[in-house]
Amino acid sequence: MNKKKIIIPILLPVIVLIFWYAITDGLGLITPYVLPGPIEVCQSAFTAIINGKLLKDTIDTLFKVFLGLILASIVAIPLGVVLGSSETLEDLCSVVISILRPIPPVAWIPFSILWFGIGTVPAVFIIFMGCVFPILVYTLDGVKRTPKVLVEAAQTLGANRWNVLRRIILPSAVPYIVSGLKVGVSIALMCTISAEMIGSSSGLGYLILTSTNLFDTGTTVVGMLTIGIIGIIFDYMFRKVQDQIFW
Amino acid sequence: MVIQVKNVNKSFKQEDGDILHVLDNINLDIKDREFICLLGPSGCGKTTLLRIIAGLDEPDSGEVNDSAGLIKGPSRDRGFIFQQYSLFPWMTVLDNVVFGLNMCYPDKKEENLESAKRYLQRVGLEDFQNSYPYQLSGGMKQRVAIIRSLLNHTPVQLMDEPFSALDMQTRHTLQEQLIGVWKRFDTTIVFVTHDVDEAVFLADKVVVMDKNPGRVKDIVSIDLERPRKRESTEFLKIQEEVMESLGVHDME
Repeated sequence: MNKKKIIIPILLPVIVLIFWYAITDGLGLITPYVLPGPIEVCQSAFTAIINGKLLKDTIDTLFKVFLGLILASIVAIPLGVVLGSSETLEDLCSVVISILRPIPPVAWIPFSILWFGIGTVPAVFIIFMGCVFPILVYTLDGVKRTPKVLVEAAQTLGANRWNVLRRIILPSAVPYIVSGLKVGVSIALMCTISAEMIGSSSGLGYLILTSTNLFDTGTTVVGMLTIGIIGIIFDYMFRKVQDQIFW
Repeated sequence: MVIQVKNVNKSFKQEDGDILHVLDNINLDIKDREFICLLGPSGCGKTTLLRIIAGLDEPDSGEVNDSAGLIKGPSRDRGFIFQQYSLFPWMTVLDNVVFGLNMCYPDKKEENLESAKRYLQRVGLEDFQNSYPYQLSGGMKQRVAIIRSLLNHTPVQLMDEPFSALDMQTRHTLQEQLIGVWKRFDTTIVFVTHDVDEAVFLADKVVVMDKNPGRVKDIVSIDLERPRKRESTEFLKIQEEVMESLGVHDME
């Protein structure tokens, strides 16, 4: 049973790897520029690790992801708690949120370059625009789902409005906020790579784009796989956090 | 007089648009340190009346006063034990129990914690002080909820069928314990129930309510000595009397 659990998930990647090797390095059916083989990718990875480029660009990308996510959380979580506990304020903001929310974050790229130029700031701005709405909407939902009996229990125990908000509504919404952050992280990663390909001179997106322009498609694949691995790590981290939440 | 209910009316609009008259001109005086049971069939408005006394709901007309004056909203002067479990699930038993004290005396966190611990020890729950609510049985959860409310030294405790979800044995144990803490804390209790046996076991006075519209039908005083014995002829006689005034054939 346990052996099966380990073998089956690995089976498909191994088959893909063999097939990939066969059509590229093995039989030479496809030229390395169109699709580099696994051996070339390994060589590129080795080079990128040794010269420190991969680490530098990964750190650069992660820095933007975290900065954007933190700024979005600072705005979205308190706003969600406030809007969720006041129907008037929610009605006031609902149209603006409904219009801004469906705009894909990459649509902000032209303005981000216009306003912030090239570099880290425009990328962080795009990540912010991408993450702020999902976190806001999840927080709002969590706040509104706070069991009424808990709020009333706190009130009859002497809690004022502020304490109800801080000690009851906020913790009650935590599972929803974490879900919002989880969605936010994957959007942030997406936004970062897109932003780096257009208005940036560093990061994994920039690495992917420039290496292709230099016919170094091995490095392109290395950049892509790195993003995939970052995604897996984030996912694992969030699952661990969600396991800690028992309410 | 700690609570005075004067000419209270309350209606709800139902989903089909009909108006449901839940409380019809309710008048009720509750004396200090009295144990009152509001008894009636479901739909007689006993929970609504209790919520209005707590300040959790507003009457359409009429008013409720306590010793501090007109009741305008929920406050720590009137504790409330809910029918559903109401412990804060992310807090340990100790944090739940100390919650009210910390709201009241935010500068005395250390002392609050000490008195909460001391009290949990006295009721034999010290082994559970670091447990979370989901780790407790239903009866245990209601015990903690009652202790949490009592520790505020609230003059009035309002209880909305707190034991209705429990098995009979646990219910009887908690009823006995409730009488004990009621005496120790010198508090007034208004207890909602639909169970005649529970009302007769607990109350000084049973307020019998009727439905459609919800109104006070009768008030039965019970002078039996405590602890009351369910098998005694006096107990059974009063039970009979209460059932009669309830009009048992009307019960659902």
